[in-house]
Amino acid sequence: MSLELQHVTKRFGGLRAVGDVSFTVPERSIFGLIGPNGAGKTTVFNLITGVYKHDEGSIRFQGTDLGPLKPSQIARFGVARTFQNIRLFGQLTVLENALVACESQRRSGLVAALLRTPAFYRDEAAMTRRAMELLEVFNLDGVADEISTSLSYGDQRRLEIARAMMLEPKLLLLDEPAAGMNYGEAEGLKKQILWLRERFGLTVVLVEHNMQVVMSVCEHLHVLDHGETLAQGTPEVVRRHPRVLAAYLGEDVEEERGSADSAGAAGGGAAEEAS
Amino acid sequence: MPSAVQRVLTALLLVAAVVGLEFSFEHIIPDAAWRQLALLAMVNVIAALSLNIINGMAGQFSIGHAGFLGIGAYTGAIVAGNLHQMLGGGDTPFERSFIVMPVVILSAGLVAAVFGFVVGLPSLRLRGDYLAIVTLGFAEIFRLVIGTADTGGGTEGAINQALASLGGQQGYAGPDGTGVPQYAGPFWIFGAVTVATLVAWRLKFSGWGRTLRALREDEIASAAVGVDPTRYKVTSFVLSAAGAGIAGGLMASLRDGNPTVQPEQFSFATSFDAITMVILGGSGSVSGAVLGGVLVTFTVKMIEQLQGLDSVQALKAVYPSLDLNALRMVIYASILVGLMILRPEGLLGEREIFRRKSRVKVTGAGPAQPVPARTEAEVKAERSEEGQAGGAEAGGAGAEGAGAEGAMAKGALPEGTAIEREEQPLGKDRS
Repeated sequence: MSLELQHVTKRFGGLRAVGDVSFTVPERSIFGLIGPNGAGKTTVFNLITGVYKHDEGSIRFQGTDLGPLKPSQIARFGVARTFQNIRLFGQLTVLENALVACESQRRSGLVAALLRTPAFYRDEAAMTRRAMELLEVFNLDGVADEISTSLSYGDQRRLEIARAMMLEPKLLLLDEPAAGMNYGEAEGLKKQILWLRERFGLTVVLVEHNMQVVMSVCEHLHVLDHGETLAQGTPEVVRRHPRVLAAYLGEDVEEERGSADSAGAAGGGAAEEAS
Repeated sequence: MPSAVQRVLTALLLVAAVVGLEFSFEHIIPDAAWRQLALLAMVNVIAALSLNIINGMAGQFSIGHAGFLGIGAYTGAIVAGNLHQMLGGGDTPFERSFIVMPVVILSAGLVAAVFGFVVGLPSLRLRGDYLAIVTLGFAEIFRLVIGTADTGGGTEGAINQALASLGGQQGYAGPDGTGVPQYAGPFWIFGAVTVATLVAWRLKFSGWGRTLRALREDEIASAAVGVDPTRYKVTSFVLSAAGAGIAGGLMASLRDGNPTVQPEQFSFATSFDAITMVILGGSGSVSGAVLGGVLVTFTVKMIEQLQGLDSVQALKAVYPSLDLNALRMVIYASILVGLMILRPEGLLGEREIFRRKSRVKVTGAGPAQPVPARTEAEVKAERSEEGQAGGAEAGGAGAEGAGAEGAMAKGALPEGTAIEREEQPLGKDRS
């Protein structure tokens, strides 16, 4: 088992954001974490990556308890992530964004940098080469020297994944990678996720509202609502689960249409149902 | 990468230039007041360069830089004074400065660095305004402790006596009260400013500087890619404080300078001057800090010179109530406001004056293949192909063997990314 959450609970004051959530993500699988807005999906990501500390339960990755580790340690341990609202290093170039992510693998230290020893130049060259190769894979090598915020939205999303991949992760957490993408772009993303898994032997956990992506890419799904587990299983099982249908479409469909985002999700879900 | 010969030649050239300055400085600038100003400008440049590490590169906001300067100045003055006495006192010949100044610089830098570490710790939890208040508080505590040490029970207790021996408001003038020996001539000042600029430059254009800027942009994202914010923030505070301490130490022994170190030299106004230099030059820019340090020092002096003009004196005679000192600050402030309107990011922004593009060009890689344009079957086929070449790629990332290049030509990454991580230096985190 790659990632294992057991009875994880997180409270913010009186609010139970995540309550008693347990799931296991098999090695090299693509795992989907879905649910309506505010269900606690991103909070689960923040718990796994150590941004928040869980109050109860345990989170283990390849047998190691992630609880006591700092976010930077968890990242170096092989858990990389992207963010729902893109978090690039704005004033840094595309290449620099990628280079920051392999800084923790550098062998030469600060003194070598000050003295500009051969080791410093060697490290810098090796890191740059690796970063450029990865940028090339993501088709970003042409804009390597551009300031990252000047990129198009889609490029910024891809740069975030490329930056995460610089860590050479074993587990990649993608937080709504398809947000703001049209049908064609989402199709491209699907292939990209499958390709990443094949190429790097990754385990992927996906938070996504786009049912087109979720239903065709994920092998396992875990549905959250109000921080609680609603259902889990293969997409086939989850899709027909009565409680999932109720949460997504609502007892009263009209009411659910109020929020644009969940309306999109519901629409996607409905489309899946019809097919 | 410059060759060893190039490096040695550059170093020799710089040393020669600095030694030359030591002996020809009085001929280049005959006026003692301007000489002093030029040296002071260089000390200010070091202060600005060091503050630029925290305020510019790391994006923290420290308004207590005078505290570090003061700690360095007092440490330097005490060390220089006592060492001078041990060496027999008297004149301050150039040869002897090679004994005194290294000790002064080292001790001033070290003591300030220790305080930098202590002040840096709250920076882990505090941001923006809150951190600014902590740094301001630190600088004011330092100034007031020294300034008030000899009032009240100044003779009771070892700590009180030690502090009181620093002279309180009157200032510290060496162990015998005859003034701090002024060993820091042009050689040391220009030498220090050269080294400080080089260090700041190399810090900025290294992985460390890059990571610090990333941290400034987004701390959560930095941590998510394995950067430990604690380490980088505290290190930046320590380095910045050490730089300020050295600037203070030099200021204390500055030739033609003030032979006493007084607490009022390190008031909030001094911190503010340092901030002005950094922001005026361009926050985060090394050459900007140099430019800012020189400009601010000379602008202040120029405005002072205006007071001596006949026309200004005539004006003063007509309106006796005119406060020229206050007017001077008005002019200074107007210049700053004007510059900020014209160039809101400072003179240079984060850019540098001399910056050549020196990025490693990637040669081994073949034409790019867009990622999504493959099916799973294609990828699987390719993987089995690479299985044979895989053995040659055990070097992992950055391998330059023929096998690795073959793999790159196909638009693929070297193997060993996910599976062979056991051998990578990261493995130590795993235990």
